[in-house]
Amino acid sequence: MSAEAPESVLRTTSRRRTVSDRIIFGLCLTAGAIAILPLVLVIAYLVIEGLNAWSPAFLLEKPGGITSSGGGALHAIVGSLEMTGLALLISAPFGIAVALYVIEYRAGRLAIAVRTAVDLVAGIPSIVIGLFVYSLVVLTMGHFSGLAGSIALALIMLPIIARTSEEMFKIVPRRMREGTMALAMPRWRAVVSVYVPTVAAGIVTGIVLAVSRAVGETAPLIFTALGSNFLSTNIFKPMNALPLFIYQNALNIGSPAARERAWAAALTLVAIVLIFNVLSRWLTTRVAVRVPH
Amino acid sequence: MSVGDAILEWGVRILSLVALGFVVVMLIETAVRASALLKNTNPWAFLTGTTWDPSSLVYGAMPFIYGTVVTSVIALIVAVPLSLGAALLINEYLPRFFAGPVAYAIELLAAVPSVVYGFWGVVVLVPALVPIERAIAGSPAGKIPIFGPPVFGPSYLAAGLVLAVMIVPIVTAVARDSINATPRLQREAALALGATHWETIRGVVLPFARGGIFAGIILGLSRAIGETIAVLFVIGNQPQINASVLAPGYTLPSVVASEFAEANQPFHSEALIALGIVLFILSFAVNVAARLVVSRFEKRAGGADVR
Amino acid sequence: MESDEVTATPASIGVTVGSPNALPVVAVGDRARDRAAEAPATNAEAAIEVRNLSAYYGTKKAVHDVTLDARQRSITAIIGPSGSGKSTVLRALNRMLEVVPSARIEGSVRFRGIDIYGKEIEPAAVRRTIGMVFQQPNPFPTMSIFDNVAAAARFNGLVKGRAQAAELVERCLRQAALWDEVKDQLGKSGASLSGGQQQRLCIARALAVNPEVILMDEPCSALDPIATLQIEELARELSREYAIVIVTHNMQQAARVSNETVFMSMNEDRSGYVVEVGPTAGVFTNPRNKLTEDYITGRFG
Repeated sequence: MSAEAPESVLRTTSRRRTVSDRIIFGLCLTAGAIAILPLVLVIAYLVIEGLNAWSPAFLLEKPGGITSSGGGALHAIVGSLEMTGLALLISAPFGIAVALYVIEYRAGRLAIAVRTAVDLVAGIPSIVIGLFVYSLVVLTMGHFSGLAGSIALALIMLPIIARTSEEMFKIVPRRMREGTMALAMPRWRAVVSVYVPTVAAGIVTGIVLAVSRAVGETAPLIFTALGSNFLSTNIFKPMNALPLFIYQNALNIGSPAARERAWAAALTLVAIVLIFNVLSRWLTTRVAVRVPH
Repeated sequence: MSVGDAILEWGVRILSLVALGFVVVMLIETAVRASALLKNTNPWAFLTGTTWDPSSLVYGAMPFIYGTVVTSVIALIVAVPLSLGAALLINEYLPRFFAGPVAYAIELLAAVPSVVYGFWGVVVLVPALVPIERAIAGSPAGKIPIFGPPVFGPSYLAAGLVLAVMIVPIVTAVARDSINATPRLQREAALALGATHWETIRGVVLPFARGGIFAGIILGLSRAIGETIAVLFVIGNQPQINASVLAPGYTLPSVVASEFAEANQPFHSEALIALGIVLFILSFAVNVAARLVVSRFEKRAGGADVR
Repeated sequence: MESDEVTATPASIGVTVGSPNALPVVAVGDRARDRAAEAPATNAEAAIEVRNLSAYYGTKKAVHDVTLDARQRSITAIIGPSGSGKSTVLRALNRMLEVVPSARIEGSVRFRGIDIYGKEIEPAAVRRTIGMVFQQPNPFPTMSIFDNVAAAARFNGLVKGRAQAAELVERCLRQAALWDEVKDQLGKSGASLSGGQQQRLCIARALAVNPEVILMDEPCSALDPIATLQIEELARELSREYAIVIVTHNMQQAARVSNETVFMSMNEDRSGYVVEVGPTAGVFTNPRNKLTEDYITGRFG
């Protein structure tokens, strides 16, 4: 057979199609570049300005004057740790309980109500959570407090923990469920010694994710924890937190000292949040290994 | 039933009901407090009122509803095409060794707290935006009301852009996930028919992923609607309705955040709580509408063995 | 095969359809004429010639030094134990292999004398001429039955307008022996059909772009025996006009439908290679190689 020119046997793509293929690629490339540029800028500013203003003293010293330079963010860091920690202690048991209740007693009307309420909370803007907690906790107690801040953060964490735990309990393999039934294991034993250990890594992932979300929240703290310029560990008194500290300093960017403190705090906060996120992602890969399909 | 079973069941049930009860009490308590506003104004006048002047006890929600809608729309107009392009770029065009890290970085950026974006916006973006805004207002485009003067810097546009920067990672991440979930068999079917890469994307990938892409957009939208701090820094905090996107304005969450602590006029804090409830209803409505639309998408692709 | 049958091929019906593309695109009719001219003398000629083909996934060698021919208007079956690289070879024949990340090949694949891996050759152009049917039926779930068939032709500018599309859809569905079952529900989702119907829909879809060769990758492995039989009959029918290469692990199927059989097995390094090639009757009744004999008598596999 004589070799024919390729075009005569294979139908090449028309120019119109080739060109639109190229144009789309160009558009995607441009869009991607424009999308990523500001994100790169945010990170670049954060690292450059933040490192400029940051020092170990920032983490370890008590706050300085409002307009004077210097002074650390120890009070905000302590406040963040304390409030997020307490929020975790509140939301984790509730979140896991809700997940178990919804999965194990799925048909009940109350279970549906509980699930709907948790979904509802997930959709509430965080500033509104702050308002709600103000109405219920701050007004009842008569003053702002770290406790009120913790409750607000717990409300933000609750749906995240409940949902990830629920997803986890759902993937407990049927074989395993049937196995526990075949052994005539009481349900509580099955839950405590089989289900929970199987999906523990997944639940922890959800908790870590929730913590990383809560630790960066500002809006729900503004009129619950309020903020404070003193180092205090008393949960019943107003408290500061890193995001709140950034917020308050950013409102005063006329003062170079405030601006510096805000950059340093922003860098610290982003580092903390990213560490938690990387941790939760790493845990996620471990879950994939633990749960047999 | 063993004792252990009873303890587990009741423990779980009690904790769940306490959580449910707390949420219900919280909602009722807040609604009751907001209802005190009824002594000052009726709900319709409150919702449609265009003036917000606490010192003369005039409370109208419209400037904030308007600001929330305008900034969210700007954010979507900017962020959606960029996110879609970025998602397609990462999934379809970048080589694998590069696409993975880029996708990971974008997902991490979705977790950066909004206060950081807001602070960046006020110290970097707004100063950079001022000359551009002046140029727009001074150019022939300035004759069109939406690009008209006055220009101060903080504006609906600035807030919309900061929101766009914030939600790009979210929309990109979700859109990318659903594009990624397109079954390989479907892509191969199109490729084996001689479709070009773009034809495969348009014919197979986007129809498959559109529900997920839409869900990502809604997720971005609800973040934009509820965003407080980032907007508060860059919108100018003026309770007004201005046709120009270059003018300063206010949004529902940002007015609550900045005025609530010092609300000492009669009915002021009640009016702010009512604004919070309006915001809650607005974002709830967006979420419900989104669910309906997503389930319709799913139904249309339904019966399909999508694996 | 008689020549008047050849002139009645779908491709020649396509003359009226023509190609709207302005570029050096061969009008469908030209190809049909080429084929018709060759038809009497080249009945047994190779449509695809594979020479010394080796394929790799990353650093792992999956296929070693395969040489085989697929004849025109004939069914070539590739059989062998799983893991022997049958599907990899098949995918190399229309450049679908490169869709798999990290896959690459050595050696040559020629279609009617043209190196399909040549520098100037686009993969899409190869796939248009050498169509493929997959193991799992994969109709586009978001499209109707009608659009599943029409979309393929629309991509390629083979039809314009609803009337032409309708004509094409009917012709392809008839060819795929599906028309009578679906003609009243063309608007329904392709996913609403049974597995066997879906697979025939995929065959109709492949036919809609006017291929010359159809590759079938275990097309019946997801189907029940009756649907399998229908696909086999369809393949026999289609082989009067097209070259067909079918990968199957079902030896009876290969024996039933194919004219030529290629038997592949695995080397010690787990790369696949060709043990024996020949007319199907010969391979199954009188294998030259002990390994082939062991496989077809069920001693391994």
